[in-house]
Amino acid sequence: MSESSPEKERPLLEVRQAGKRFPGVRALHRVDLTLNPAEVLAVIGENGAGKSTLMKILAGVQEPDEGEILVDGQPVRIANVHDAMRHGIALIHQELNLANNLDVGANIFLGREPSKYGWIDRKKIREEAKGFLAKVGLNVDPDTLVSRLSIGRQQMVEIAKALSTNARVLIMDEPTSSLSSGEAEQLFAVIKELRAQGVSIIYISHRLGEVKELADRVTVLRDGENAGHLDKDEIQHDAMVKLMVGRDLSQFYPHEVHEPDEAVLTVKDLRTPVHPAHPLSFSIRAGEIVGMAGLVGAGRTETLATLFGVTPAVGGEIFVNGELVNIQTPRDAIRAGMALAPEDRKAQGLVLEMSVRENLSLASLNRDQKGGFLNRQAEDAISEEMIGRMRIKTPHDRQIVRYLSGGNQQKVVLGKWLALRPRILLLDEPTRGIDIGAKQEIYALMEELARDGVAILFVSSEMEEILGMSDRALVMHEGRITGELKREELSEEAVMQLATGRGGAKAA
Amino acid sequence: MKRILGILGLFLAVYVLTWLLADVFSGSDRASFMTEYNHVNLLKRVGLYGIISVGVAFVIITGGIDLSIGSVVCLVGVGLPFMLTELGWPVLLAVPVALGVSLVIGLAHGLLITKLRLQPFIVTLCGLLIYRGLARGLTNDQVYGFQTGFKGLKQLAVWRLPITDSFGIPAPFLIMVLIAIVAAIVLNKTTFGRYLMALGNNEEAARLSGIQTDRMKIVAYVICAALAGLGGMLFVLDTNSAAPADFGNFFELYAIAAAVLGGCSLRGGQGTIAGVIIGAALMRLLYNTINLLPWIPNNIEFAVIGTVILAGVTVDELAKRVAARRRAAQRDA
Amino acid sequence: MYFLRRVAVLGLVAVLSLSLGGCGGGGESTDGAGEPGGGESPGRFAFVTNGVADFWTIAEVGAKKAAEDLDSKVEIAMPAAGIGDQKRMIEDLLTRGIDGIAVSPIDPDNQTDLLNQAAERTHVVTHDSDAPASNREVYIGMDNYLAGRMCGQLVKDALPDGGSIMILVGRMEQDNAKRRRQGVIDELLDRSVDASRFDPPGQPIKGDKYTILDTLTDQFDRVKAKANAEDTLSRYPDVSCMVGLFAYNPPLILQALEQAGKLGEVTVVAFDEDEETLQGIKDGYVYGTVVQNPYMYGYKSVEVLKALHDGDTSVIPEDKFINIEARQIVKDNVEEFWADLNQKLGK
Repeated sequence: MSESSPEKERPLLEVRQAGKRFPGVRALHRVDLTLNPAEVLAVIGENGAGKSTLMKILAGVQEPDEGEILVDGQPVRIANVHDAMRHGIALIHQELNLANNLDVGANIFLGREPSKYGWIDRKKIREEAKGFLAKVGLNVDPDTLVSRLSIGRQQMVEIAKALSTNARVLIMDEPTSSLSSGEAEQLFAVIKELRAQGVSIIYISHRLGEVKELADRVTVLRDGENAGHLDKDEIQHDAMVKLMVGRDLSQFYPHEVHEPDEAVLTVKDLRTPVHPAHPLSFSIRAGEIVGMAGLVGAGRTETLATLFGVTPAVGGEIFVNGELVNIQTPRDAIRAGMALAPEDRKAQGLVLEMSVRENLSLASLNRDQKGGFLNRQAEDAISEEMIGRMRIKTPHDRQIVRYLSGGNQQKVVLGKWLALRPRILLLDEPTRGIDIGAKQEIYALMEELARDGVAILFVSSEMEEILGMSDRALVMHEGRITGELKREELSEEAVMQLATGRGGAKAA
Repeated sequence: MKRILGILGLFLAVYVLTWLLADVFSGSDRASFMTEYNHVNLLKRVGLYGIISVGVAFVIITGGIDLSIGSVVCLVGVGLPFMLTELGWPVLLAVPVALGVSLVIGLAHGLLITKLRLQPFIVTLCGLLIYRGLARGLTNDQVYGFQTGFKGLKQLAVWRLPITDSFGIPAPFLIMVLIAIVAAIVLNKTTFGRYLMALGNNEEAARLSGIQTDRMKIVAYVICAALAGLGGMLFVLDTNSAAPADFGNFFELYAIAAAVLGGCSLRGGQGTIAGVIIGAALMRLLYNTINLLPWIPNNIEFAVIGTVILAGVTVDELAKRVAARRRAAQRDA
Repeated sequence: MYFLRRVAVLGLVAVLSLSLGGCGGGGESTDGAGEPGGGESPGRFAFVTNGVADFWTIAEVGAKKAAEDLDSKVEIAMPAAGIGDQKRMIEDLLTRGIDGIAVSPIDPDNQTDLLNQAAERTHVVTHDSDAPASNREVYIGMDNYLAGRMCGQLVKDALPDGGSIMILVGRMEQDNAKRRRQGVIDELLDRSVDASRFDPPGQPIKGDKYTILDTLTDQFDRVKAKANAEDTLSRYPDVSCMVGLFAYNPPLILQALEQAGKLGEVTVVAFDEDEETLQGIKDGYVYGTVVQNPYMYGYKSVEVLKALHDGDTSVIPEDKFINIEARQIVKDNVEEFWADLNQKLGK
């Protein structure tokens, strides 16, 4: 442990050698974590690195299989959320947990309402709520309905609610993921103020810029294990990335420079039903990998959905290989040579209760059918080819897809499409929630397909992925394409500027 | 095959138990259950109810439901003798019209459910009311029957394939077997069947894979209504007359219960034709058991049948969980 | 979603306006007409049955004929979905201010309140099946118990040396079904005339010569009714007689016997006048049937209601029972009866 804090006080919270297994996955293995009083500790790592599991253990949502937790130097057991609350630990979820139909005061004291003769003491709720709201700098009446507040203000209510339980440790899981930049700034100010008041904060984020601004120390997790610790001055972008991915970026992303060919997909003034006011125009060439960056809700997923005919366009033209195509359904898009690996693979990409084999062949059945009957030989061939080529780890091709790991499930989705040999591959968050090994395999596959002349358009919320994989990046903000960055122009700052709509100026 | 073992076991258990209680230990020297006559009746009933159960299985596999089956049975069951005796139409016109009406009903259900996105429960519940009302209005609440005529047409319900001098397989059972074989082939060997299974499990994923899910669902509702119509025809040919007010009441529930007993999940995406047939057979066997065992009062039959269905579905669910755990363990290893 | 909600709201509005319109329309025409002895208006009466059957179609003809003769109006209400449906129909009729209701209660013991409530607002008579505990003014019909005994007499005539009998009926909770069945049983056991006896079903009832094996019900499901007949043949291969107490039972018994090749071997005794039953009597497969006179139920009901409406209470006899006698139809008189029936049905 790089315990380099000079403070003599003993740590407020300590995790020693924590381990946790889920069926088929080792989520945590001998993980240590130390939190001192009145500090902001950032916990970073790729998706699937074990951050969420660790936080759930601290908040009493899950119990560790191994290891111990110490509060004020005393070993404690945190079996449920109540225990966590008793030890002063509160978790603020990524998806806020407020009751929209109740007012602010009622939310702050939900489940712990002060009462008088068995009746809820509304007066006391009002008064005390005001005090906690002041602590987080939120100037709203406690009687306001939560549903009337912006997401940023709702988050402040959530923090006030945590403070009302006398929390000494606040765990924030990706708190800025759905905030505007102004709201994020406000949140940072509140965090710093709370630290000054003696509250400790565990801050989980993969936005390294924020981490650099806020964190006193950084703990990095990778594949469920400690990957290293960084102290104040060591908290630098490259150092964090290196610890997160375990090697230099150039090694992790197998990017080669492609020689892009003719434009395969050209979009002119395409208007999606979600953002009909903002016509989109861009084109993708054969053998090119184009990243699509932006904040959550910028309209990237909607753009892919419209291209693929899931939510048909309300205007504009789509050309494939120079020919105008009319895409009203996914079937039309597939005919035009497109394939889409959707963001939510369990809900949209896979038939979970069917076998690997049946999922792999699903899109090709129509092509291979013999007078309406299934073509078993063709199905065998696809199944065998894709399990081998994608290195899908499954005991046999009759295994039900539900029982595969996230990475292998994603490989099944991709395999289903590759069986059709698409010319245009649309990928929505292709590596979300899958482990590092599978990620690399998917990157390698993208490279291989680009080499073969497939045009790839991928949406990603992971900055590293955008930077590492794109020949070119399109950045979206509130339904528009705010900029296009060539590989040599790509940088985190440039992408963030366009993604937050802060400047038309491209960082060169 | 593994998936129908549970229901098959239950069926055999009830079968053997009925035989023991009704014949072997009944104290009477004459068998009542294990007779050729009783088995002819049982096979006939399994055939009649099996046909409508296979129909609803297609709809249930898509994750839908059809509550209008009983009313379609009624509309066709009353309509056929109405056309033949009241209107004096020839058989070769009346039968195609009866089946055609069923097809149109199924098509209407499918279109409303897919194109207007109405819920299947509501659409077919309204169908249940509408077709019953139509049947009653059409006939002015009169009972219609074939009297002593139409012996040829009635062969569809009363003819038997002779096996011995006194035993023959009744025509409705043969028709059901034919339908079941075709249905099983469609479900397991064609792209349509695979698509139905896929969209029943995850319609969105199926649609994103280029499957025309709406068209598949419409076809499923057409199959269901057509088989309900065919069932209605055979039912009325068997009873010889039908009253529009009560003919086919509850038949949709018998069909759905048989499908669920046979392993169809109301969430969709699951089910085998063999299971559904055994489910229908089990229900008919239970009614027969209750009638043949003097010490089971006739009026608790619903309670008996409800209990057995519940037991069957519970055992099935537990078996699935064990299988799921085994698979999870397999992956872990 | 929005569209769906709008459709739902529109539908609701349509239903409400229809039902309100219905109420309003009925209300206007009732002025004072509901009062007993309320005067000279021609009168609007309702004839409520206990279900839907050919039997009631004949009654309908009678009721309409009476209305025509007496220059008044009659509505026929046939509840298709049992007791709840019948209650709803009666309530709707009351809401609309009908001048008199003739009803065949499905479950008299439990409908007393409903009938009393109706009797407060208009004239109520019962037909076909009585509700003696209620305030109905008169019962028009036959004594189902005595008719049941007539049916039992037919069994005795058919099987003078005794035998085993199975009874098949739609529902047991109906008073007429209970009394018919009890009449059959009491006659076969040569008991005294006492309609208050009740032998529960489920076990054989043994007499000197005759054994009543059981009573099977089918809840008006014809497929089930036929299965009951078939299973009777399975369970009691040597059954000597099957008695069908509801109009549709005998034809289904005949179907089952025909398919089992036992036509003529098992005696069939029937109730009511289904065409197949009558044909069975002609062909010799049915020994006989007991028929009511539904035409007269309908005719007499309207006639009595009209008299009551005009303030004439002399039509009500002391015992509040207007007997419409049942008849036994056997091979000798079936032709004549059938011809008369067809004439009334307009066939």
